[in-house]
Amino acid sequence: MSATTLTLRRFNAVDVILWLLRIGVLLIVVIGTLATLIKARYTIAQWLDFVMFGLTIGSIYAQIALGYTMVYGVLRLINFAHGDIVMTGAFAGYFAAAGFDRSGLLESRPVLAMAGILLVAVLTSTCIAVLTERIAYRPFRRVQGLAPLICAIGVSFFLEQTFRGLFGSSVKSYPDPSWLRAAFVVFGFRIPRVDVLVIGLALVFMALLYMVVQRTRMGTAMRAVAEDAEAAALMGIDVNRVIVFTFMLGGVMAGIAGVFYAFLYKQVYFFMGFTPGIKAFGAAVLGGIGSIPGAMLGGFFLGMVESVGPTLFLDGIGIPAPYQLRDLIAFTLLIMVLIFRPQGILGERMARKRA
Amino acid sequence: MRNTARGLLAGLVTGLAASGVLLGVPPAMAATVGPVTDDIGVVRIAKGAPIQIGGYWVLSGPDTALGLDERRGVEIAMKDAGDSLLGHPLKLVAEDDGCNAEGGQTAATKLAANPQIVIVLGPACSSSNTPAAPILWQAGITDIDTAATAPALTAANRKPEYDGLVRTVFSDADQGKADAAYIFNVLKARRAVAMHDGSPYAQQLAAVFAANFKQLGGEVLSTEAVAPTDVDMHPVLTRIASEKPDVLYLPMFIAATAQILRQAKDTSGLEHTHMFGGSSLAAADFIEAAGPAVVGFQIGYPDLSPEAMGQGYPKFVEEYKKAYGEGPISGFHANAYDAATMAFKAIQAVAKTDDAGNLYIGRKALRDAVFATKFEGIAGPVACDPHGQCSQLKAAVFEFTSADPKTYGIGKNPKKVYPPSH
Amino acid sequence: MPTSLAILPRRRQPATPLQRTLGVGLVFGVIGVYLAAVGLLPMLNKRSVIVDTIGLGDATMIAIGLGAGAMAARHAHTRGGATLHGLLAGAVAGAMAAALAVVMQLVSLQSIFIQLSPALFTMLTLGLGLAGGAAVLIGGGAAAGLAGALLRDSPPGGRRIVLAGLGTVVVAGVFQELIQLVLQNAGALTTSASEFFYTWEGLSQQGAAAIFVIAAIIAGLNAMVQRRAAGRVAASERRVRLRRLLRAGILLLLLVCFPLLAGSYIGQVLMLVGLYILMGMGLNLEVGLAGLLDLGFVAFFAVGAYTTALLTADSAHALAALSYWEAMPIAVLLSICVGVIFGIPVLGVRGDYLAVATMGLGEIVRVIVTSDFAAPLLGGAQGVLQIPKPRIGATVLATPVALFYLTLAASAVAAYVAWRLENSRLGRAWMALRDDEDVAQALGVNLIRSKLLAYGLGAAFAGLGGSIFAVMLSSVYPSSFQLLISINVLALIIVGGMGSLPGVVVGSLALIGLPELLREFGEYRYLFYGAVLVIMMRLKPEGLWPSEVRRRELHAGDEAEALDAGADLLPAGQHASSAAE
Repeated sequence: MSATTLTLRRFNAVDVILWLLRIGVLLIVVIGTLATLIKARYTIAQWLDFVMFGLTIGSIYAQIALGYTMVYGVLRLINFAHGDIVMTGAFAGYFAAAGFDRSGLLESRPVLAMAGILLVAVLTSTCIAVLTERIAYRPFRRVQGLAPLICAIGVSFFLEQTFRGLFGSSVKSYPDPSWLRAAFVVFGFRIPRVDVLVIGLALVFMALLYMVVQRTRMGTAMRAVAEDAEAAALMGIDVNRVIVFTFMLGGVMAGIAGVFYAFLYKQVYFFMGFTPGIKAFGAAVLGGIGSIPGAMLGGFFLGMVESVGPTLFLDGIGIPAPYQLRDLIAFTLLIMVLIFRPQGILGERMARKRA
Repeated sequence: MRNTARGLLAGLVTGLAASGVLLGVPPAMAATVGPVTDDIGVVRIAKGAPIQIGGYWVLSGPDTALGLDERRGVEIAMKDAGDSLLGHPLKLVAEDDGCNAEGGQTAATKLAANPQIVIVLGPACSSSNTPAAPILWQAGITDIDTAATAPALTAANRKPEYDGLVRTVFSDADQGKADAAYIFNVLKARRAVAMHDGSPYAQQLAAVFAANFKQLGGEVLSTEAVAPTDVDMHPVLTRIASEKPDVLYLPMFIAATAQILRQAKDTSGLEHTHMFGGSSLAAADFIEAAGPAVVGFQIGYPDLSPEAMGQGYPKFVEEYKKAYGEGPISGFHANAYDAATMAFKAIQAVAKTDDAGNLYIGRKALRDAVFATKFEGIAGPVACDPHGQCSQLKAAVFEFTSADPKTYGIGKNPKKVYPPSH
Repeated sequence: MPTSLAILPRRRQPATPLQRTLGVGLVFGVIGVYLAAVGLLPMLNKRSVIVDTIGLGDATMIAIGLGAGAMAARHAHTRGGATLHGLLAGAVAGAMAAALAVVMQLVSLQSIFIQLSPALFTMLTLGLGLAGGAAVLIGGGAAAGLAGALLRDSPPGGRRIVLAGLGTVVVAGVFQELIQLVLQNAGALTTSASEFFYTWEGLSQQGAAAIFVIAAIIAGLNAMVQRRAAGRVAASERRVRLRRLLRAGILLLLLVCFPLLAGSYIGQVLMLVGLYILMGMGLNLEVGLAGLLDLGFVAFFAVGAYTTALLTADSAHALAALSYWEAMPIAVLLSICVGVIFGIPVLGVRGDYLAVATMGLGEIVRVIVTSDFAAPLLGGAQGVLQIPKPRIGATVLATPVALFYLTLAASAVAAYVAWRLENSRLGRAWMALRDDEDVAQALGVNLIRSKLLAYGLGAAFAGLGGSIFAVMLSSVYPSSFQLLISINVLALIIVGGMGSLPGVVVGSLALIGLPELLREFGEYRYLFYGAVLVIMMRLKPEGLWPSEVRRRELHAGDEAEALDAGADLLPAGQHASSAAE
């Protein structure tokens, strides 16, 4: 942050505008919130629904964000194609799920079928993540500047269009087994079972990932490379293998996230990964890029803001069709964080290395 | 660098000089060719050469089925005409417009640049039609629109550059009105929420519906909107649930509507809200995307039942199945068939052949002949008003009966529920 | 996993020539199978190169065989070895395609891979059934590989002649529709030429043969002239530069006059190319010179378009009824303002973060123009319609060709401005900024001023482009302002060469013009973009027509990299592979 503040201090006009921006956004948020709450159009149950929906999509964002944050931590590269790797997982999972559905296994042996679907999805997305690294990113390991990012954009297009070519552009529908359709009722509030399942499993997998990064030798090597790649190499760590391992971990999380996403929203198509990918990157920045707990927190936070925000902030001030502006809220949040707290909620040490 | 800039400057000078020469030439002008004199130009088709019919529809991307269905309708009409007219073979020159303004512009320019194009059929999307029709008419080409339903295209106050445009499809103004009447009178709903996805088609239909519903005495609680790629509809549905509407009117495209149907099932507060969709949802893909939630869902759609359609329709469907191995994949094939028939009739009315066997067609005469053509089409009677509206909506309501995409077929799934058959 | 954490990088055995050749064959075979599986091959075959003889898809398959042969021949030491390796690589590539056919025959995969249709099978096997088809594929692959190897080993003169002939035939066949249109419009002589080369449907066999011979002769003569010129005293620097200038001038002149001859469709395509050139030059200031990666560039384009629309349109949303010439400067000014406003919040954001921040800003603009919230002002989903075409005196610039010249004039002015900027104090400040922000600041570059100027001036170009875009369509819809536009513009300046003005022209012709001419393959446009971005970044990061500065920089970079390669993180194999490329 120091360089920026130093630059800005000389120019009060810019400072003033930034402050106005801050105040403006804050005012809209506060006034909108107050106005909405005073109108009291929504019941407590409905507010809880908003929160629940936000947590559900947030858990997906969190898992995708982990892939971004780990790769960025090790390579200082925005893996622009990560969202599309999620898509590849969801696609592979779809074919497995459709097969299990046809054979009746999905209905009769839910756990086995689910494990099978996840396995297929994770294998696919991991392979594609590692291949992507090998073909498109490794040659740029030492190149500064824009080349790696541009290459990443190319890979993203390439993956999307390849899947469109291979499997067609129509929307494919995930099966909807009966055991996912039910809902729990807690204190009179209805909570769809699929939401609970997705959030719960997401937490479990993220905890596992955290253990891997913190407790294993490879995880330790990863953290060492993230800290200082040159030094790590001098210490005898095979940086290339660590990077491949990082992409593998990201790919595993992407595959899981893809399957959960598809079970939640049922639809699979070639462009499905792009928007969640961008949002999840936002979540990673929000939480502090490079920080694993940060990515999780950022994901849940972004999901909440997207779900609750349009109603809470915009309904009260009479803006029509607030959910059309959902992406506006998400991106405004991202930009505000980038401007005012580039190190994110939990990030500290990564702050000025690149941003 | 310096060289390039110099070159560019030289180019600029030449270009400006050249454009001075060019701009004096009006694109279409009176001409006499062979036995025909026409105010805006004459197409000469040499003996044995094909009569080229232009077409532009959406033939790629997510809305492909819509455009492809119409193209097939035209192809069947050509086959029914024996693939020839007045002793000349018929040739369809089809372009893809991507269902957007840029695509329509480029497709129309490409068609207009071909002096052998006699008449143009299409497109499927109003946003493509809006820039395209003037380009075609400037080149003297009449455009028979097969599925672009925006009211403005045939409004009484349309500009003279749209003089060459007619359509064999109804106007959204009628669709929205019919939907409002059904929902108010038959469903007895009084409180409605309209919803769109930011596409010109859905937004227009939602607005027309809202205006008509209010006029009938109903209450439109709000108009909501989502992005067509949104997947998490729960929050917006919860918001709608808080208004307790009787009906949710959503004339949107497949993916977003399917999400809404699925997620409405587990949104509390919407248990008694009736869902009603638009004509773009009549597709097997929609049944697949919406899953079990589709059963009972109703859409406003032109009446394609045999008693409402022209007599040729069942035969057309048979031919369609034989030619393409599947039933009609979207909703406007019959309108496209009628558009092609209309074009053939008009060409026959004005074309003149000289002794050597060459064919001559006056462009203005063709346009007037198109406007004057009246016949019983397979989608109903075709007769144009002075502003180019040649077909009227016969509104009906269809209801989906099964979640199996293989059962898709207009009349079976979805099956007609209104007006009652006699 | 933890136990296998290697301490030292493993070193692989270098591959034998045979292994390499097999590898080359496999890679090319995989490319062929990929193209078939995504549906590109059958799609390409819808365009024929020579009527009833060879389609574009067939030509692609042959090209794959040729490529495999040529690549494999590189690894051989002797002439005979080269042909053998070429033959082998081609056969392997052909065998991969044959294997695909076998798999398709054995299991029906079409329910998953929708492109593996019976039609593809027929195309692969040439309708000869599985056994015959497979034999032809392998044999044909071997023959093509052999031809590729022979071509590679033949003297450069001969190679050039053959390639020129083949290339011209392919171009003449693929673009037959356009060429015929031009020939028939131009005059009696060209009409009869058209009838000689072409039939109703496309290039005839005799036409193809004739074109091959003509092109080969021209290439041969050209080579002879060049060899003679080379024999004389080496041309002075000045001469070389003069010649290059002449060539660029002729090229531009052709480009400028072409639409007049070719008619409105080419005019329309070139006008789109011109629009993207305009935007490309704007983004070039931001990315190429100042190093600010902006993925929200489309926002300025939208501002230009909407401003023009709202100030001139004959619609309910219009704010005024100005003429185009009054509205355009306002649109440009407003774009500059938006550019600066856009720039302020992201001043302190660098590198990849900046890309994402600007992308967010661009998306915000798109969401706003689509929204019901802003619809009372901007028309929402219905857009703004009935924008009048610009007039000069009594003439209306209504045709695509007329609008092309408007775009051309705008691009020329913009190019002049960009060129002056590049060599100005500000331009040097930008370059310093691009190379290292902190150093630039230490050297006294005013960061804020130069960054905001980069955003503002870049935005001016895009705003001008948007303004022309609005009159071109006569209507403005929010769906026109997608993120893809920003990425298109970025891709074209990368392909052309970052920071290079002629590069923008080349990039725009390649990435906008070519796909517009091949409209029926529109679905594969972004597949092509993605592949091009990755391949360009790996093989030719400086672009097709790099700027001088950039070329020097990249080469300096190579040397530096080579110097410290000993102690870097790359494994040994890495260098071998990058050197091989």
